[in-house]
Amino acid sequence: MRIPAAAQHWIVPIVVVAAWEGFGRVGIMPRYLPPPTLILGALYEVAADGELARAVATSLYRVALGFVLGTGAGTLVGLGAGTVPGIRHFFDPLVSFLYAVPKIAFLPVFLLLFGLGHESKIALIAFSCFFPVFIASRHAVLAVDKHLIWTAHNMGAARAATFFRVIVPAAAPQLFVGARIGLAHAFILLFAAELMGARGGIGPLISEGEDAGRFDLMFAGIVTFAVLGFLGDRILMAVRGLVLRGQMIGTLEQAVR
Amino acid sequence: MAGLLRHVERWYSIPLLLLVWQAAVSSGLVESRLLPGLGRVAAALIDDTRNGILPYHTAVTLARAAAGFALAALVGVPFAAAMARSALFRNLFEPIFFFGYPVPKIALFPVFTYVFGIGSPSKIAFAFLECLYPIVVTAYLGFRAVPIRLLWSAENMGAPRLTIVGRVIVPAAMPGIFNGLRIALPIAIVVIVLTEMIGDSRGLGYYIAISGTRFEFANVYAAILVIGACGFVLDRGLLRLRRAVVHWERDAGAR
Repeated sequence: MRIPAAAQHWIVPIVVVAAWEGFGRVGIMPRYLPPPTLILGALYEVAADGELARAVATSLYRVALGFVLGTGAGTLVGLGAGTVPGIRHFFDPLVSFLYAVPKIAFLPVFLLLFGLGHESKIALIAFSCFFPVFIASRHAVLAVDKHLIWTAHNMGAARAATFFRVIVPAAAPQLFVGARIGLAHAFILLFAAELMGARGGIGPLISEGEDAGRFDLMFAGIVTFAVLGFLGDRILMAVRGLVLRGQMIGTLEQAVR
Repeated sequence: MAGLLRHVERWYSIPLLLLVWQAAVSSGLVESRLLPGLGRVAAALIDDTRNGILPYHTAVTLARAAAGFALAALVGVPFAAAMARSALFRNLFEPIFFFGYPVPKIALFPVFTYVFGIGSPSKIAFAFLECLYPIVVTAYLGFRAVPIRLLWSAENMGAPRLTIVGRVIVPAAMPGIFNGLRIALPIAIVVIVLTEMIGDSRGLGYYIAISGTRFEFANVYAAILVIGACGFVLDRGLLRLRRAVVHWERDAGAR
């Protein structure tokens, strides 16, 4: 008997969830791994009394603002560094040293600088997004096909026109690669910063559930967080498809879709 | 002389920034509790290196990161190879890796502490999970990208299967494998430091967290310097290894 490929994709997730549910019902699973149906129940519970919506709104506010600020700054400076050697020489050594440092290590500094509220988390998320976005944007500009630039110059395009009409569009696919890595960083930082001390948000929802021994609530928070991260990535990819729709024509990606 | 000038042009920003930092502290413009002078950072670095505190925590962090990274590499690369060569294996596991990739796995860390305990095992297991994704995905793409003509040539010349795997497939996939390892290595360090900050009594993450709550920011910066140096050295080491292993691909990993 041959199982179709599309069905094979579902085998592992279904087996894992079914086994989890089954063993949980029989009572073999430890208490900290409540069966999926209980988690769904807890999700419904926090969703019904509005707690989930408040937590999601708080976390989304932090991560969205931090991501937009960090990615914006990283793109601007990265494009500048790719174009102007002076900017490149200033930022390259700083970035190559700080890149390997976990940005969460700056949490104590940011807490003291920006206080315990939203600002310290937003600033830390932005700080963390900046680096991968900067690196991707800088490389993207430097990797733009020189013939395109020469052609534009040859046809008498001004410097500004060359930058906005040739370099930025040519670099755009790589800019999205950087933004995608930045988004992943943003969610990691959001979670760590919220878990280490924050009022409101999904992180506290998880740690409160944990402290109260309500592991179904803890998992409800974990599932919500994972779904948010996943959706964020999907939205970014959708935006990318929209922005790059001209450049996608004839590529493998479009052919696959 | 021109070479020296180029070095100055390339590297001046780090000393310049340090100079501005020191000037800001000396002039009293910024609160020195938040931004300790360079001298105090250096003193903290030297003191805690002499009395063995920093080396101890650094060793703990590096050992954990190395364990998680090595496990992920040992499991991930064969796994990626199996996914690339077997359709059943690919159909079973591809969705988990490609849909799971953008999911922030950090959310699972509380569960890890329950399953593996709060000490080293949960952190190593978590670093393993976080490193596994980039290694499997990148190595998988590397194995998939092995030119079919190379395989045909090898088969045509009568090479047995094992020789094809060892002499053709693995070498051709090596650049992809190393790309994955290079992405995963800093992730291992980040994840270990981060989880140590969330809760532990050892490691550089703990050292940073405890120094921060004591407002000893000179020590926080000292630890950040140590982590930065470790990450830099390890990345360079991996690049050297890559250049030695993938010797036919000149300078591809240089940048």
